Amino acid sequence: MTKQDILSLLKAKLGAGFMGSTEPIHDQLWVEVKPEAVVQAVEILHRQTPARYLVSVGSDERDIKKRFAVYHLFTFDKDHFFITLDVTADPHTPRIPSITNVIAGANWSEREIRDLLGIQFENHPDPRRLILADDWPAEVYPLRKEFDYSQKPESHPEQAYKFKDNPPGTTVVAMGPYFPVFEEATYFRLYVEGEKVVDVDYRGFYAHRGIEKLGDQTLTYNQIPFMAERICGICGFVHNVSFCKLVEHAADIKVPRRADFIRTIMLELERIHSHALWLGVAGHIIGFDTVLMQTWRMREPIMWLCEKITGNRKTYGMNLIGGVRRDIPRTLVPEIRTKMNNMEKEWLAVLDAVKDDTTLRMRLEKVGILNKEGCHEWAAVGPVARAADLDMDARKDHPYCAYDAVDFKVITADSNDVWGRTVVRILETLESFKIVNQSLDALMELPEGDIITEIRQDIPAGRIAISAVEAPRGEDVHFLLTGGNNRPERWRVRCPTYPNLPTIPDMVRGEQVADVPIIVGSIDPCFSCTERMEVVDVDSGKIRIYGQEELSSWTAKHS
Amino acid sequence: MLRILIMVMALLFLSPLLEGILRKFKALVHSRIGPPLLQPYWDTLKLLGKDNVRSSHSMLGPVPAYLSLAAVLLAGLLVPVGGSAAFAGGDMILFLYMIGFASVCVMLAGMDSGSPYAFLGTAREMMTSLTVEPVLFIALITAALKTHSFRFSDMAFYQQSSGTSLSMIISGIALLLGIQAQLSKLPFDIPEAEGELMGGPFIEISGPTFALYRWGFIIKQLIFSLILVQIFFPWTFGLSGLWAVLAQIAKILVVILLVGLVDVVNPRLRIDQAMIYYFGVVLTALVGLVFALVGA
Repeated sequence: MTKQDILSLLKAKLGAGFMGSTEPIHDQLWVEVKPEAVVQAVEILHRQTPARYLVSVGSDERDIKKRFAVYHLFTFDKDHFFITLDVTADPHTPRIPSITNVIAGANWSEREIRDLLGIQFENHPDPRRLILADDWPAEVYPLRKEFDYSQKPESHPEQAYKFKDNPPGTTVVAMGPYFPVFEEATYFRLYVEGEKVVDVDYRGFYAHRGIEKLGDQTLTYNQIPFMAERICGICGFVHNVSFCKLVEHAADIKVPRRADFIRTIMLELERIHSHALWLGVAGHIIGFDTVLMQTWRMREPIMWLCEKITGNRKTYGMNLIGGVRRDIPRTLVPEIRTKMNNMEKEWLAVLDAVKDDTTLRMRLEKVGILNKEGCHEWAAVGPVARAADLDMDARKDHPYCAYDAVDFKVITADSNDVWGRTVVRILETLESFKIVNQSLDALMELPEGDIITEIRQDIPAGRIAISAVEAPRGEDVHFLLTGGNNRPERWRVRCPTYPNLPTIPDMVRGEQVADVPIIVGSIDPCFSCTERMEVVDVDSGKIRIYGQEELSSWTAKHS
Repeated sequence: MLRILIMVMALLFLSPLLEGILRKFKALVHSRIGPPLLQPYWDTLKLLGKDNVRSSHSMLGPVPAYLSLAAVLLAGLLVPVGGSAAFAGGDMILFLYMIGFASVCVMLAGMDSGSPYAFLGTAREMMTSLTVEPVLFIALITAALKTHSFRFSDMAFYQQSSGTSLSMIISGIALLLGIQAQLSKLPFDIPEAEGELMGGPFIEISGPTFALYRWGFIIKQLIFSLILVQIFFPWTFGLSGLWAVLAQIAKILVVILLVGLVDVVNPRLRIDQAMIYYFGVVLTALVGLVFALVGA
């Protein structure tokens, strides 16, 4: 479907509800609709077109446009563009109809907007708190412009979160808020009958950091990439690239080709070590520690390689708007190739061992089912969607960096279960080796040193950009509305776990308690991304402080 | 009396060495260096020196822990070492009671703690012992049928004096398949299931009390390997004296390493999947019994 087709369809069906449309950037379509027409518009997109829901973004635009805005973001994967439904809410009593009854996946987005901006959604099926802490005072909305980022409101400990009532005949088994195999704070409240899970309730966001608020209020465009990278301790580079791409898109900045390839290499290295990490954790969850130990052993050389390339094991600090900070010198290419080949060999051995392991398959097959329709309804992404036979991958659908120049396959499976997700991840890793090797070929040909475009002009205000980057866990979407003062007016991060996590109740209902941890694990949940919280990796080894001079001399030596 | 004392000491202070070897072996498969061989001793010492934090629901406190360890030790006294058992006053019936009683103590502790994880773990422990303990029972009955005696010392001599017996071998294999679950090793550590129940019946148990349960488990490892090696696979390969003792020790190590190997190359099964396997093991044991009845 072309943008024109969509526009005429919407115009015809919505009539007066359609207020106008623009194309801010070539891969975007911006449609303004009246609040009373939004449910119908969403229904048309969700049910009659191949559009896939991404996220809803709320924005306080009372200063610039005298309104609150809600943007519902959709993508047309196979036609490579995004469409945004722009809905205006009253600046004094913001209230618009909820779309959650049409798309289940909008549930969290709308609750988040309500929590942070105070925009009410009529007919929302589950209007409980999502993001704010239980003791946060009612009617204090932290993402409104008048709320200062450093403000600490009074605590109201008498407010309690209301969990679902026990279904009759069930007892509660709590998995969380601190549960060993989940590693981060999250709470799944299971209602069980013997070993069978009858229902489940969720409470999360225990560690919300308010990173987006910092982006809107104190940080500048050049600082945010470093903050964005700290959203996640595993796939931080993805967030970093997503943000840089946003600004480059909005201000029309051309990135040197060599930087594109370097970003691609780092993204794929991240995918490789993330999938190795996941496989280990999944093994650990079901008690298979041999998998954990072996995959993490294989992962270690990749981490060392990242350190050699960027100076850091993780949180590379490589990206700036316009390019990257460090080149990968040609002399390093042979070593990267050797490491890739070694890991690929070991990974093939893992594949062999895993695919014929009957006990492993007994635990993973036909568990945690989420089919195509379920994925569409919840807007699930990444390996969860690909294991449900949905051919969806931002690297192909919205090519960025150098993915248009490398050859790789999108791996899918059709078993809809935990096993399918496992297979997808293992095979995907093999594709990553291919991508890295092809990118290294390109690095050998492109001139060394041309890695960043200097930005001379200010980033213009009022521009809009959306970027989708395929993280190991699925597609990571960032949204940007540029503002004055060299910082965003609104920056929204939608990490892959955000749409995947709400699918858990559907996946675990009717399963056994023993399956819940591995089902939750199968989406590779990254609570830190979802809650935009920092994961700190504390190294207990010796700490040495390097002085400014030493550091400068090092930089000189290695650049 | 002296023999009993020596046997109790041996059970208490040699069994952690076996656990240490097992841990080293697992580390080898994991590509790890692993803890020092004597780590189980230090672990026990450390746990014994800790405060005893108890669930506020608990009425029994550490009592089941004492009973369970005592039961395991008494069972150990009945196991023949070098031809006869340290405690001559008991037979296999008492042994079965003691092993069963030790599991009941674990269940009691689970029920006593008032935690939902412990309740789930206890339910699983109950299902496991109800299906797995009959394996031990049937295997020993088979041996009793062959030897016309309930005494372990008679059973231990039987195959050496009247040749290898098919039914004994089959029962031995069934027992070997069953002890994986008896010892709560993967893929059958389902009652404790660290990943989902965080220790199941033991979730609320800490410090010295926990040390006693763990010690009991470690001693059980030694007891079960001894039973297997002494009664069902008693061959000494024509060796005598010190060499025969060494051969027995080597066999114990083989049994323990087999258990360790299965433990390390398997994920945890679900209880429903494990039950199917347990029934298979029970059937194997019954086949052994049938062979014994027809005289093989």
